[in-house]
Amino acid sequence: METIEFLMSGFGIALTPTNLMMAAIGALVGTIVGMLPGLGPINGVAILMPLAFALKLPPETALILLASVYLGCEFGGRISSILLNVPGDAGAIMTALDGYPMAKKGMGGVALSISAWSSFVGSILAASGFVLFAPILARWALAFGPAEYFALMCFAFACLTGLMGDQPMKAALAAVIGLALATVGLDSNSGVYRFTGGDVHLSDGIQFIVVVIGLFSISEILLMLEQHHAVGGIIRETGRALFNLKEMAQTWWTTLRSALVGFVVGVLPGAGATIASAMTYTMEKQIAGDKGNFGEGDIRGVAAPEAANNASAIGSFVPMLTLGVPGSGTTAVMMGALALYNITPGPALFTQNAGLVWSLIASLFIASVILLVINIPLVGMFTRLLQTPNWLLVPGILAVSAVGVYSVHATTFDLMMMAVFGVVGYFLRKQGVPMAPLILGFVLGDMMEQNLRRALSITDGEVGILFESPISISLWVLSVLMIVVPPLLRLRKRRRRVV
Amino acid sequence: MSDRILGAACVLVGAGMAWAARDYAAPISYEPVGPKAFPMLLAALLAAGGLWLVLKPSADGSWIRRVPLGALGFAVLAVFVYAFLFQTLGFTLATVVMAVPVGMAFGGSWKQALAGGVGLGLLLYLGFDKLLDVVLPSGALAFILGGR
Repeated sequence: METIEFLMSGFGIALTPTNLMMAAIGALVGTIVGMLPGLGPINGVAILMPLAFALKLPPETALILLASVYLGCEFGGRISSILLNVPGDAGAIMTALDGYPMAKKGMGGVALSISAWSSFVGSILAASGFVLFAPILARWALAFGPAEYFALMCFAFACLTGLMGDQPMKAALAAVIGLALATVGLDSNSGVYRFTGGDVHLSDGIQFIVVVIGLFSISEILLMLEQHHAVGGIIRETGRALFNLKEMAQTWWTTLRSALVGFVVGVLPGAGATIASAMTYTMEKQIAGDKGNFGEGDIRGVAAPEAANNASAIGSFVPMLTLGVPGSGTTAVMMGALALYNITPGPALFTQNAGLVWSLIASLFIASVILLVINIPLVGMFTRLLQTPNWLLVPGILAVSAVGVYSVHATTFDLMMMAVFGVVGYFLRKQGVPMAPLILGFVLGDMMEQNLRRALSITDGEVGILFESPISISLWVLSVLMIVVPPLLRLRKRRRRVV
Repeated sequence: MSDRILGAACVLVGAGMAWAARDYAAPISYEPVGPKAFPMLLAALLAAGGLWLVLKPSADGSWIRRVPLGALGFAVLAVFVYAFLFQTLGFTLATVVMAVPVGMAFGGSWKQALAGGVGLGLLLYLGFDKLLDVVLPSGALAFILGGR
């Protein structure tokens, strides 16, 4: 019952005119960013984060804005998947498989509206799951000591590397690079300056925003040089705009199942919307069996990934807020945003800053409703925006990114670092090194080192403490399973295919 | 750039990290783990991972031949020049200088790119600096736009 009261007070904060307006702006901007191929939720949140800070928005308002952008991106990605056959963001890759065939058959309107609906259902279910589970998890996490935290963070990296697919070593390397970048600057325990090369600009560490915008926005621009998707390829004849009751009934169980799976995958630290949508699409394809025509415009193939990517986006807030370990790359960036406000997410947040947490949860419900409302009638406007030529769009992204970086410290040094990270990020991404583990490592680096040192201080250097409590032992076991099991499963699948 | 080069680079960076961290020590130590251990651990992991890639590379570097290298070099240069000029030349002019080559690399004519750059430079400056109070350098145009 206590939870209901908290949630109501959260709605009280989220429904104030400023916060409501921010949720609406965030939803609109998010849909556009998510829709534009190449720009995903991380870019949207990374570019808006410094601006929200520079505008001196209070922390809960800033977080509401960023969360609505995140959710909006998961809604928006489907538009270009369906109409262009180019996924707007990584979570919408699967949506193109059946969405584009549907659009080619003149069912684009139905594909857009049913996917908006399943996105909405996924969001609402996941937000309800959040309300139910987050307080329990937060209470449980209060028992965590430094050793447990260290094990938990290792588990997060294990999830990322294990689920990252075919090149786990590169995911692991990315995480280590991120952790290493986080060690730059003053070590607060000993007063030693590490890896600064004597440069005063680095004494405070590498700026989070510089890293994120460099690695995601700038490198993305360089990657976009290779995309030559013709803007003329867009499908304009979308036919009937709304799905009917029969189509809704057809997708109902798919949507519910996918939302559930998406939420669980989202809660797992490190695993995000991309994995969730791929998993549910495959799952639904298997459930449908021969009766489905997945790949040729099955309506369930649109509903499943969309319900899952929204549910997982919301799910990824759960570990970030309750444990202080983000559940996705985007929530890792949001944790960086909270750091600008000197707020450290974790179990204590629920007691010390309950207003912030619950207004965020309430705003997830509100943003879902706004997104459903704007996404069905405004689809025409969004498709027109999709035709913005790259020669205008790309300089625009670059200019806004630079404004974001500049607004924090107003130095040329930060802008140059942004450019350097852009080039480095480009080469790493071209070589198949994923960026999400890197950013997670960068965000968690300081906390991981501090917890390790604190744990070892308790026992005066005895490493055994890391493997002592039941919680940390189970986390270590889970971490090992996460790394060992997926390659074994892949191996079995490959063998079966050979037989 | 193949996986081998990436791996070798990781080994080198790891070695460099270890060398730079070799005598990080707290002046007054009151904890068993000082400022050196964690960077050393990471350096070792980085080098080990790099070595793995050198021995078992999984992807080749042939993508470099499919990249429009001219356009890429152009764009990278434009980003660096933009970062360099941002403060001295001011946001608006720097944006114009950046938007022309970048816009052209993305298929615009020089007229389109120039018009786009001028439009972006002015609109974003007015929007951020005047409307939203996010202070941007006005640089060489200070006599018209005010500010610094």
